[in-house]
Amino acid sequence: MKFKAFLTDNGTSLLEKRFLPALDKMGKVCHLYFTRDHTIFLHNLLNGDGVQSIAQFRKEALFDNYRISSQNDDRIAFTIDLSLLQRAIRSSVSIYAEMGGGDGVDTGSNRLQIKLVKKLPPNSHQPLPFLTFESKGYKSAVIQDVPISKPLSRADVLELQSALDMAQDLPRTLVQVPDLNQLQNYVDRMKHVGDLLNISISKYGDLHVQISTTLITLGAEFRKLLVVGEQVEVPAEDRDLSAQSRTQRAVQRGDAQTVQVSMKHFAKSLQCHLAKPDCAFYGIAQEGACLTVIFQFFIPGSRQNDKSISLHCRLPVLDPGSS
Amino acid sequence: MSSSGPDLVCQLDNVQGMVDALTAVRWKRHQDAVMELSEHGVVLIVEETRCLQAKVYLQRELFVQYEYSAQGRPRFGVSLGLFVDCLNTFSVPGRSNMIEIRYPGPDMQLLLKSVDSMDACIYAEIRTRIPDTISWDYNFEPAGSTPLSFTVKSAALKEAIDDLEWPGSSIQLTLEPVPPSVTFRGEGHGDLQIDFMYYVNTDLLIAFHCDHRVSYRYKYKFLRATTSNIPSSVIRDNRGSKLTIGRGGMLKVQHLVSVAKPSIPHPYVDSAGHQQPSRIAYIEFFVKPEEYEDIQNGS
Repeated sequence: MKFKAFLTDNGTSLLEKRFLPALDKMGKVCHLYFTRDHTIFLHNLLNGDGVQSIAQFRKEALFDNYRISSQNDDRIAFTIDLSLLQRAIRSSVSIYAEMGGGDGVDTGSNRLQIKLVKKLPPNSHQPLPFLTFESKGYKSAVIQDVPISKPLSRADVLELQSALDMAQDLPRTLVQVPDLNQLQNYVDRMKHVGDLLNISISKYGDLHVQISTTLITLGAEFRKLLVVGEQVEVPAEDRDLSAQSRTQRAVQRGDAQTVQVSMKHFAKSLQCHLAKPDCAFYGIAQEGACLTVIFQFFIPGSRQNDKSISLHCRLPVLDPGSS
Repeated sequence: MSSSGPDLVCQLDNVQGMVDALTAVRWKRHQDAVMELSEHGVVLIVEETRCLQAKVYLQRELFVQYEYSAQGRPRFGVSLGLFVDCLNTFSVPGRSNMIEIRYPGPDMQLLLKSVDSMDACIYAEIRTRIPDTISWDYNFEPAGSTPLSFTVKSAALKEAIDDLEWPGSSIQLTLEPVPPSVTFRGEGHGDLQIDFMYYVNTDLLIAFHCDHRVSYRYKYKFLRATTSNIPSSVIRDNRGSKLTIGRGGMLKVQHLVSVAKPSIPHPYVDSAGHQQPSRIAYIEFFVKPEEYEDIQNGS
């Protein structure tokens, strides 16, 4: 089993400044899955409870000279503590800067190399696996070892891959939330009022979030959002109804679905804004199985979707809701 | 069957101001408030164990629109914390937030909704209940023919009361005419005395009326409640708070909270932009002293 690659400047920046801070909010520990073409960070894919998150990068988005080999179709997966990974990359970056990197210096000699190794840690007789970060300068090298779990067995990798495949299912209707900040702001304040959130998404392009307790009903409706997938015109007689009535009628007609999710999970998934996505799409999976949120990233300087980076979350549904 | 319309439909253009004013009377996580509606405006009352009462006066001039059509004065109970947390969801920074408040809904609820955006709408329905009659209807009467009161910078008052937590005792408030001064004193596992001298700390003690020495003790937690959630706008606006000692030692603490200027012209703000008194919410606290002489029973 071998893995070696050089993190590019772009890759370092993507991870250190955007993705690792966001993924750290999804959970301290996650699976890191390397394949021939992709590097994937996976949260909660194998245990059913929390928010599932999948951050997938084509190898070129992060690395140069990517070399991987294993007896399992050149796939390697293990669990890693994201705060340790963040720390290693952050300090490598500052060391690199200190060593005068990036000022017209030959970047060939000052690069961040990542390698999978087995080492004997101090006070131990057993060699343990690490993901090692090496910054080589003219005069010195700095090596940081991030401890990782024992790499997953063939069977476990298979399980991980099939969970990943299942998680790629797209809901039939997705609505685009143009301003994640506004939604986050709103949810941050709603948090104080209740623990359960009802979310309705309609083919008309309406996203309706609501808390309902015995003492209060509090909701926000965002209308006329961009729809990807199945779309339908809102019936004229429904246009001027209250948000609650419109949603109820839409669900009855089969034009909308409502699911209930935990407020904590929803607020957590919104932390993905730290990855600085350009927009977000919400959808409810078939049969109300989960709430899916897909974050899109544009190629810098354009409005074209950057297909080499993807991030999406799936929130467990607490109560099937009406559908 | 009464008329079919609601008792009150009003519109407010600055939710944050209302949140600030109501937050000033939050001293516990769970507080039941009573709201009273009238043609003059809205009053919210909270009370604790017959020793502490607070009122927030929101006059009708604070509202951009105020349509009152009730017979008499409707009163209902509502959870203060829930109401404030709910209002807070309407307060989106960087945007104008105009909301409409309506009472009653079909189920006697308090209804709120945002009215400034066609494509994004926030709404809320808060359950109300029939209020208990206020068990302690204090009767604040002046102590004598001359008032016993002083006005102090709100920031200084808050700081003094915060500091007085340290002795861990009840607080003695003394007004002395010669030399004119206000003293707060705590004697617990340490002693702490804070003096405001009228002619010395003129920037702190703004007004003072007292013709004879008075001194009363108040439970710290009740005194603390009067300043613990003063909104930061009060400090920023450099406002003063007026404290008055009434008959029997009942303490009245009054604050002024801006329900701040909107960005759009408002009918009650003149062209110079000077804030009219009507853009201010009045907050009143009444604190019973530790040894309260019932007005009916004693001198």
